[in-house]
Amino acid sequence: MKMPLTFVLNNQQTTLEIDARQTLLEVLRNQGGMTSVHRSCEEGECGACTVLLNDEPVNACLVLAASVQGAAVITSEGLVKNGKPHPLMKAFTDELGIQCGFCTPGMLMNAYALINRAGEVLLTDQIIRKTLEGNLCRCTGYVNIIKSVQTAQKAKLAGDWW
Amino acid sequence: MKKREERLILGKGQYADDLEFFNMAHLVFVGSPHAHARIVSIDIEKALALPGVITVITGKEVAAHTRPLPVQANFTSKGWTWRLADVYAIPADKVRWHGEPVAAVVAEDEETARRAADLVVVTYEILPVAGDVLTALEPGAPKVYDDWEDNKQVHLLFDFGDPDKAFDMADQVLPVTNREGRITGLPIEPRGCVGVYDTKNDSLEMWGSFQTPFLSRHNISATLGVPEAKVKINAVDIGGAFGLKIHAWKENVVALASKLTGRPVKWMEPHRDFVATGPHQRDVFWDGKIAFKNDGTLLGLKAKVFHDLGVESTNKGIAALSIFPACSSPTNMYKWVGMHVEGIGTVTNKSFYCAYRGYGKDKGIKFIEAAINQVAKKLHMTPEAIRLKNFIQPHEFPYHQINNYVLDSGDYPAVLNKAMEMADLEGLRKRKKELAAQGRHLGIGLVTAIEPAGVAVPNCQMGGITEARVLITPDGSVEVHSDRTEIGQGAEISHATIVADILGMDPAMIHVKRVTSDFIGQGPLSSRGAVYPASAVAKAAKLLRQKVVHCAASLMKIPADQVVLEKGFIYSADAPDKKISYAQFAEKVFFFPGPRGLDPEMLKAHDHLLDVTTTWYSPTTPESGSAYTSFCVSADIAVVEVDIETGVTQIVKYVHVHDAGTIINAQVVDGQIHGGIVQGIGEALYEGLNYDENGQLMNTSFSNYLIPTSVEAPDIEIAHLETPSPFSETGAKGMGEAPIIGSKAVILDAIEDALSDFGIRVNDAPATPEKVRKWIKKATAQNLETS
Repeated sequence: MKMPLTFVLNNQQTTLEIDARQTLLEVLRNQGGMTSVHRSCEEGECGACTVLLNDEPVNACLVLAASVQGAAVITSEGLVKNGKPHPLMKAFTDELGIQCGFCTPGMLMNAYALINRAGEVLLTDQIIRKTLEGNLCRCTGYVNIIKSVQTAQKAKLAGDWW
Repeated sequence: MKKREERLILGKGQYADDLEFFNMAHLVFVGSPHAHARIVSIDIEKALALPGVITVITGKEVAAHTRPLPVQANFTSKGWTWRLADVYAIPADKVRWHGEPVAAVVAEDEETARRAADLVVVTYEILPVAGDVLTALEPGAPKVYDDWEDNKQVHLLFDFGDPDKAFDMADQVLPVTNREGRITGLPIEPRGCVGVYDTKNDSLEMWGSFQTPFLSRHNISATLGVPEAKVKINAVDIGGAFGLKIHAWKENVVALASKLTGRPVKWMEPHRDFVATGPHQRDVFWDGKIAFKNDGTLLGLKAKVFHDLGVESTNKGIAALSIFPACSSPTNMYKWVGMHVEGIGTVTNKSFYCAYRGYGKDKGIKFIEAAINQVAKKLHMTPEAIRLKNFIQPHEFPYHQINNYVLDSGDYPAVLNKAMEMADLEGLRKRKKELAAQGRHLGIGLVTAIEPAGVAVPNCQMGGITEARVLITPDGSVEVHSDRTEIGQGAEISHATIVADILGMDPAMIHVKRVTSDFIGQGPLSSRGAVYPASAVAKAAKLLRQKVVHCAASLMKIPADQVVLEKGFIYSADAPDKKISYAQFAEKVFFFPGPRGLDPEMLKAHDHLLDVTTTWYSPTTPESGSAYTSFCVSADIAVVEVDIETGVTQIVKYVHVHDAGTIINAQVVDGQIHGGIVQGIGEALYEGLNYDENGQLMNTSFSNYLIPTSVEAPDIEIAHLETPSPFSETGAKGMGEAPIIGSKAVILDAIEDALSDFGIRVNDAPATPEKVRKWIKKATAQNLETS
């Protein structure tokens, strides 16, 4: 069944025609053109399709697209401002928290939510590890990802953030 | 300067799943639910009747329109057992493993193709299963290939040095066994591609997650019967590979589907299929004995290693070949008198065997490291003492090992000593005693390894051939081409750094191009990247530099030995103010080569084209037969605490000291080390593909095939030594596999040490909590009995 879906995608009021059975992952990739939202396990295990739904990280493959009517969805494309990488993205590049890049967009969204939630509280290795547990990475051994998140938080505390 | 990383981080990656072509159709495979069954009939009518379905391809079409999958390695000439199977990408007669494709549905969209796949009705006659590597060799076992005598595909015998003399000289001989479970490398991105058959030109072009486009072209073209010259394979952004995306067979069906339908056809593999029908590795059992003197001198080894190859390993994959390094690598970094090693590969009704980080080198080294630690225990020596006694010494390089490896360079004692110092080994041992007094079980593991890297083996597709091209364009920017696909291992950064250094340019001016089959080579496998392609690129850049100097001398009317190339500018050493940029230089050379520019003699000599294509081959392999050119060195010390009530293990400390020769990019090297160590930890503790007695694969998802998450991964302390390789063009050694070799061995060694009170031999990976508990229970019962 075809239906219109109206929601805020990366701060833009958006209406897409969707099939009622489609997942948010499918709609974001196929109709929304947000190809940073990566498809892997399609069962909520790998975290490669993590996006923010009303500021909370979710696995887009487990969310029925029709259920996000009126909600706000942010993908990693939404972190880019005027073509410039978000300070979080810059931290991942600087610290080489990225290798093949496939898990990265999902990892970024989960880390973004974590840093925003943390406020002034400095993120320890342990908190970061626990929070990113649902975002699998096979390349980096997570070491430089943890470093990237800490570097990004420092940028935020220094006022370099959006 | 991280062009690729910056692009990917902005969400501008183009992975296989992101490919879109006009009028593109979608392909979905139908997999067999049985491990071994005759295909009685296939009814595709219901599937074809679904609106949007274009065609359904079965084994009959594949047999009618393609040739069998080509053989990738063949060693029959050596007089060993090396059987070949005549197989197609989709079988017409019988299925041989759970998940094997029996049909491919092509539809207007993927959802329709998936629904239609469920409507394909296959009638099977179920056959008994050859499921276990040892029983599959018994007389009367169900045969995987009906025309073979039995299920043995490979039996290789190696005699290195003088094995009998080694055992004659021995004071003692110790039997050692080791088992590694079946695993898969499991990148987060599965395989995928788009095939576009051009019916007007009868040519084929494909884009996708191809780790080795040149080899894939050869195999796809051979299957499809289209000349290689009319096939082009393009690698796009690849979401991890680790060896699992080397070869093509399902991709052949995608190409066929495009040829039959005249449409671009896309296939994106569901991740579960990647596990069930993708490449598998390890699954070996070692049975051997090690000979040594009472003073700790190592002498020899006699061993057999049994491999469970799954369905076959010369057509879909090329990992029967990995039995060679498995048998050769136990020499590791020590002096020996002799070894006799037999490698046996058996086919069973499981998915096929292919490459994964380590490629057999890991198996041999892990086995010998465990064996040496047993010898040390027997002789009441420390693990470091026995190693320091037997290491090849720094002054002995290049060292001709008994197995023909020519070890290039290194300081093995320095690497181990550095690791001991960093880990504070004595402090750790004290801590172990303190905790033991509190009833806690801390274990310290110590392992040293070399990483044979940069492979070239004759008689197979891994022959070592390589091509690179470096050229300057008219605007002064530089193109770099090679066979080294970027799979997340830093190929682009490394090549840009090498070329920028040689040409005296800012790395931002260097554009490392996507890899296509236009450039000859095996791609990044067996840690070839820093050895073959990087050497070929460096050599091309050096030759290009000579041309630049020659042209600049002519243009600027200065002596060639005065030409300086620095930071993107060209000038004479005695007149640094009169400099021209590469852009100005290139424009003149390209467009104004006449009398007012270059010397006419240069034009007559055809020496003004700023474009060099060249090749590189190992300086040691032709004479010695050494399959590898560089040998990176590492030492791993891990501390693991075992909770004996639950069997849960926790990595408390991890130290890794590494010598990969000259470091091209430190961040990239560290990243490879981190990733490799954590993959090795996965192998040691969690990962195992479990087939039941009917040949059903029980775990095909991330929820039951467990890879380490950020919580299980430990902090890793790294130190580097840099002993340049005399044999590579840059002094760098291939690396990236040493970390997985060391870590999967050292974790088990640490667990064994933690359980030393129980006298448990930890020789069966993965050491899951339930297995650890089982060992403890068994040992406790045995100890009670004996007391």
